[in-house]
Amino acid sequence: MTRQPQGRAWSYWSGWPRVAKWIAFGALAFIYFPLLWLAMMSVSAQPLSGLPFPISGANYVALFQSGDWLAPFGISVLIALGVGAVTAVTATLVGRVLPHSKRAGTLVLLAVLPLFIPGMSMGAAQFIFLRPMMGLTLGYWSIFLGHVVWAFPFSLLIVLVLTTRFDSRLVEAAADLGASGWRTFWDIEMPILRPGIVGAGTFGFLISFNEVQRSIFLRGTAETMPIWNWMMASSQQSQVPVIFCLETIVLAVVLPSLAALFWVLFVRMDKN
Amino acid sequence: MSNLMQKLSSRGMRTPLDRSPWLIRSFLFVWLFVVIAPLLVLVAYSFFDSRNFMMVYEPTLKTWEGIFTSGRFEVTVRTLRIAMTVTLIELLLAFPSALWLAKGNCTKTTRAVVLALLTIPFFLDQSSRIIVWRGILDENGLINHVLMMLHIVQAPIKSLLYTEAAVHFGMVISYFPMMVLPIYMAMSVIDDTLISAAADLGATPARIVVDIILPLSLPGVLAGVVFTLGPALASWVEPNLLGGGFVNMLSNSVDSAYGALRYPVVAALSSFVVLMIGVIFAVLMFVTRRFADLSMSFRSLQS
Repeated sequence: MTRQPQGRAWSYWSGWPRVAKWIAFGALAFIYFPLLWLAMMSVSAQPLSGLPFPISGANYVALFQSGDWLAPFGISVLIALGVGAVTAVTATLVGRVLPHSKRAGTLVLLAVLPLFIPGMSMGAAQFIFLRPMMGLTLGYWSIFLGHVVWAFPFSLLIVLVLTTRFDSRLVEAAADLGASGWRTFWDIEMPILRPGIVGAGTFGFLISFNEVQRSIFLRGTAETMPIWNWMMASSQQSQVPVIFCLETIVLAVVLPSLAALFWVLFVRMDKN
Repeated sequence: MSNLMQKLSSRGMRTPLDRSPWLIRSFLFVWLFVVIAPLLVLVAYSFFDSRNFMMVYEPTLKTWEGIFTSGRFEVTVRTLRIAMTVTLIELLLAFPSALWLAKGNCTKTTRAVVLALLTIPFFLDQSSRIIVWRGILDENGLINHVLMMLHIVQAPIKSLLYTEAAVHFGMVISYFPMMVLPIYMAMSVIDDTLISAAADLGATPARIVVDIILPLSLPGVLAGVVFTLGPALASWVEPNLLGGGFVNMLSNSVDSAYGALRYPVVAALSSFVVLMIGVIFAVLMFVTRRFADLSMSFRSLQS
């Protein structure tokens, strides 16, 4: 090992990787601690105090008795399911064609444009376009539209990962053997693209389920769960415990679907 | 042979890979309608004015002037300052983390788990994530309880919440994944042999980071900055929940204008945010041109 210049020895300190590791883990801890705290406070008798003791299920009882949250929750689930289905289908249709088209780069950039525009601006833009300019009454349909536009780039990118690697000779071979277009799609392309399609749909569902910034602009008088949460959170303190319980329940539902999504993305799609 | 192909295609028989051009055309048409048109209308509306809750459809610069002369300008400057501070802090925190994740000899499982953990918060409700911090930083919150129990302070610290520091803190935590993931992706394609070659030639680790890793990961850094700065400028949840009305950012301005039905103001502020993002991105690309050729990096990413 050659002798290093004295002044530069600090750069060789073996502790640097450890520092970086602890920065990463520290940030993750700060991100996840509130979620844990949320779950713990939801079973606390005094959720607005600082500590989770004593433990009581009273908040959950109040949650299920109140029932205000059922309508927004149901609406959110329905809209999210619709958004997931629509984005999966459109992303597949567009994603299959995109690698073969001439101006693929420009098209992808155009489709990915909403990613760079903050939620507030995009929501305001769509709101002004629909309401003051075209005079339409906003409601669930406008929230649906806004969510589809927001989720589409993500779904498209997921499907594109698979379609750009798709071996088009398989399609040609199927045609040579006499298969119709639909048969080719269903028997050849679907099995290969299925992880991408499922991933795109799940992504669309999850994105729409928790979307608040665009929904606030596009809602008219409709209410989805994130909007309801936002109103409860920014209003009087007494409503807050209900959110804790609701969110804990939602977390219990969302985390498994996220785990399934990651399994699909990292395990099934990495097989190629 | 080509004569035969011409005859076949003119008869409408398509090869299996001949996708109909109408798909892309109809997609473009719909996209134009739902994405491009609203953005153009947004910019156009900012040049109108509204008086007494009614729109006045005459082109005027009054709304834009209003942004820069009235109290809104102070809000804009504050938003810009807070967003840039938060982005800078994120960069300082995320660069080492991404470097460790990409080049730090982690096992595949660790990497997969950390990546999954980083991506999950994106799908969770913002309001619930932030409101918990309110309970922790509050006067009766966890931190004050612990400090009082340990007798470090005699009275609860009131300035943990509803200050700019609290808003910064909330924003840094919320936007950390958005900064790390693009940087990580750019770093993970850096060839390891370049690093070991540099080390063989006698470069100190600091030199390797500055001269090799930084230029090659620059597209990721730029992407991370844009993905953080954009949402930070338009951040909604943190200033309201953690700032409690004492930290007014652009989103509060837009909110109040929206409630007052002053749509041109909403349009002007929203397009101003997009404009700022574009300007900062262009400035960054220009400044970093000395260090790295971005077009070359994109080409290497594609391969």
